[in-house]
Amino acid sequence: MSAVNVTDVHVDEDGVRARADGDVVLDVCFDGRRVWSFRLPRDGEQTGAGNRQLAWPTELHRFLHGVTRFSLVDHLRKEVIFETELRLGTSPSSSERIAVVDEGGRPLGVDKSGRLAQMFDTRTSHDVAPLLDSIEEVLRALAAAGVQAFAAYGTLLGAVRERRLIGHDSDADLAYVSAHSTPVDVVLESFALQRKLADMGYATTRYSGAAFRVGVTEADGSNRGLDVFAGFLRDGHLNLMGEVRAPFRREWVLPLATCLLEGRVLPAPANADAFLAATYGESWRVPDPAFKFSTPESTKRRLGGWFRGTRAKRTKWASIYRTHPFTPAALEPSAFARWVVEREGVATPIVDIGCGRGGDAYWMAERGAAVIGLDYVVSATREAARIAERRNLPVEFRFFNLAELRSVLGGSARIAHTPGPRIVTARHLVDTTGEIGRANLWRAVEMMLRDGGRCYLEFLVRGGRGEDFVRANLLKPLPMQQVVSELVARGAQVVHDEVQQIRNESTRGSRRIGRLVVEWNR
Amino acid sequence: MTRGGRRTPGAPAADDASTADRIHALETQVAELAAEVQECRALNLRLAELVDIVQELLLPVSMQDKEKVAELMERYTRSVG
Repeated sequence: MSAVNVTDVHVDEDGVRARADGDVVLDVCFDGRRVWSFRLPRDGEQTGAGNRQLAWPTELHRFLHGVTRFSLVDHLRKEVIFETELRLGTSPSSSERIAVVDEGGRPLGVDKSGRLAQMFDTRTSHDVAPLLDSIEEVLRALAAAGVQAFAAYGTLLGAVRERRLIGHDSDADLAYVSAHSTPVDVVLESFALQRKLADMGYATTRYSGAAFRVGVTEADGSNRGLDVFAGFLRDGHLNLMGEVRAPFRREWVLPLATCLLEGRVLPAPANADAFLAATYGESWRVPDPAFKFSTPESTKRRLGGWFRGTRAKRTKWASIYRTHPFTPAALEPSAFARWVVEREGVATPIVDIGCGRGGDAYWMAERGAAVIGLDYVVSATREAARIAERRNLPVEFRFFNLAELRSVLGGSARIAHTPGPRIVTARHLVDTTGEIGRANLWRAVEMMLRDGGRCYLEFLVRGGRGEDFVRANLLKPLPMQQVVSELVARGAQVVHDEVQQIRNESTRGSRRIGRLVVEWNR
Repeated sequence: MTRGGRRTPGAPAADDASTADRIHALETQVAELAAEVQECRALNLRLAELVDIVQELLLPVSMQDKEKVAELMERYTRSVG
């Protein structure tokens, strides 16, 4: 392979700039450790005269204060192309070494999706042993549940190419090819498999109708994901969540063969070469930490249409909570919560849908109400739950996803199962969820208020452009009349409505906030 | 394009206009059909969710009260059809 010349390298607060006379994958290292990789010229923005500019990945921003030995390394040739002592930021801590680590001091890097993760190249075999144990255990559980699963995506690639976990990867992937050929049956099967693993005590998270993640704790307490992807054959093609649709034969998968990963024998597709070519294209043998899927639009449409739609900004919210750590201020009540308690007192049980970090739920429980806080990023409520438990407050937090009908119907039925009237609150939820989310919210509220009670809503009606609050909460204005019409169409009655204007001194603008109280009279 | 004869530069030919109209109509139709296909595909997940919850949760919970189930079934079947 001929060397690609990388020249005119410059690095500063904005990112990295360089020029390459060919296709090259570059590793960015801080004090000799890889924290990010990119590919030139593909990933760079043209800045004239052949130079390409790469902005620092968003997830790295909070670490970029201090000093580091910056080096740019040709990933395949392992050659240092450029090296310099780099100082970033102007804060008092900027004389310290930059440390891209988690709260436990464990090294992090930017993965192929732009998220911070603990890459396998920083892990010892002792660290990853629990993950490998879990891979074997989950494979056995999947086999017992009737599907023949195997190592897939990066895990298969690592096994076939290097017999080890890929250094620049951060999770493990399993897949199976369903015996079903209709998407609805494939989804039902995936639901059943997730239930089986949850019954075994694993923490699971659903990503789509055909993929879920199994949470695994490594030897040093790090959390690692084990993704289980469903595939199925139809019209001579393998459709594999989440990126693959390719001409394929069942005998390329079954009967399963084996591969060797970190000294363990794992099941692999009968024809791993064909499987990897279908997954990554014919260039799968060449390592590429900056790899990006170039999935055809038709494949995205098919897989998305059949299986996706239940995440609905969940990843974005999870990222917001992750990058803005909890502070005690999060437990302060909103003006909305004070208003609800003023009107209702505290005796009636309260359900707070879309509770975020759980501040309002926590405060209302402090006032003596039995509160259930519902959210689809349930990890955001961890601190509120911990403090409430210590103080013996009557608040409980549960997972609830407005974009997932099973969650809406099951979660609402569970709440309605306890008889009696209740108060349901939803602050800045109708103005951040979409049309499907709102329809499911009305359905959920109606179910929860089966025995009476009231629902309190607060949302952005107009304005707020450029305001931090509106941006941070991903709000989109929703006319009062539209919300009222939707509720009335579902049989609700509006018993109170008001609009407040809130001025913003910094933007010199204002936003209008609508409040509604609704009931269902049966 | 014109079929034979010359047209004044800059003046649209009737054929060009009708071809453009037809292409525009077909593009609109393809976009509508694509949206309809996506709607149909999305029903897979919705149906699976409904089947799953009925099978796993609602039916077993309801079955504890046989009279109530019978009453609900009767009411339901009366409302369908």
